[in-house]
Amino acid sequence: MITSIREERLIVISDMHLGSFFCHPQQALARFFEFACEGGYNICINGDGIDVIHTSVANIVRETSQLLARIRQVMGADTTVYYTIGNHDIILEQYLHTWGSLRLVPFLNVQSGDTRIRIEHGHLYDSFFMNHPELQERMTRATTYLLKLYPPWYHWHRLPRIVKHQATTLPLVGPYFKRRFEPDDGLRIPGQRPAFIRGADELARRGFDVVIFGHTHQAGQYELSGGRTYMNTGSWFRDPHYVTIERGVVTLRPWA
Amino acid sequence: MPTFSDEREFEDGDLIVAEGDTGTEMFVIQSGRVAVTKKADEGEIHLATLERGDFFGEMSLLESLPRSATVRAVGKTRLLAIHSGQLLMKIRRDPTFAFELLQRMSSRIRALDEQLAKRASDDDAGRGPGA
Repeated sequence: MITSIREERLIVISDMHLGSFFCHPQQALARFFEFACEGGYNICINGDGIDVIHTSVANIVRETSQLLARIRQVMGADTTVYYTIGNHDIILEQYLHTWGSLRLVPFLNVQSGDTRIRIEHGHLYDSFFMNHPELQERMTRATTYLLKLYPPWYHWHRLPRIVKHQATTLPLVGPYFKRRFEPDDGLRIPGQRPAFIRGADELARRGFDVVIFGHTHQAGQYELSGGRTYMNTGSWFRDPHYVTIERGVVTLRPWA
Repeated sequence: MPTFSDEREFEDGDLIVAEGDTGTEMFVIQSGRVAVTKKADEGEIHLATLERGDFFGEMSLLESLPRSATVRAVGKTRLLAIHSGQLLMKIRRDPTFAFELLQRMSSRIRALDEQLAKRASDDDAGRGPGA
């Protein structure tokens, strides 16, 4: 399995959750793949391209066949498509293998110019998923019914964490809330648990300049120790982001 | 952020590990390069040059046996040193490190198998038919 590659133009997205009842990225993805092809980028889908929980067989079949058609189209234009396995993809691994020349990997170590980049989905740093995968799956399935009734609820469950983070930036009382809510010295992107930044820092110490995760559905960037950077591409549920790697320059951008 | 490994810097030509020494740590190259050499009858032979992200010294750490080769810094080099107890913490906090370690060792075994097969085939050819 090849996990170390050299790429001068690579574009990274994650968490499209195709097939989900609540995520409808098909049109945006069609434009995105077109944009990647026109820009001469190879593409990395950094995990959870397909949803296996908030979905139905009909949804999965319809939306994945559209994605497959799109991937075949860009591959015909000499674009390489890498797919790193996310937590939703684990049970689909064999199925994804049948997609042909898609390069399925557990993670990618990318050398671009003088920059060394690690691309990984990030679920291994999610303690709840790692310690209680069945419970997490059951809870996620249970929320399907709530979300069917009222989809915006999906974004609300992160609200307490975001409010807590915002409280730490208030004048006068901010330091008190910082000690109370963020004892890890503000190690977070708003709404995102510090464990992901700790995980990224641990990885970066192995000689990576930039670590890119998905999984948290919270796009953002954080400066790690030693001038290294952590980036998260968020999700295509809402506020889609992507990362471009161009001859060693790594940039997180919103998809307009 | 607490870490379970320490970072060390070396200048060009500095000895990092010496063949035959007892070592209890392995290293990951954070920046720079290292040269790996081994003593042979005809002198010291160059085995490999390792670069950023590569690791070495894991054989001594895993088997508690003397170092099998000498490693020197090539230019200014920064390493992450990991002891055996720290290795388990490292794998817990950075699980793909174990995957990459196995991947590297698997590739070395494959290369050695190929060398062995080639040598065996050369020996057979040397003996000639009916030997």
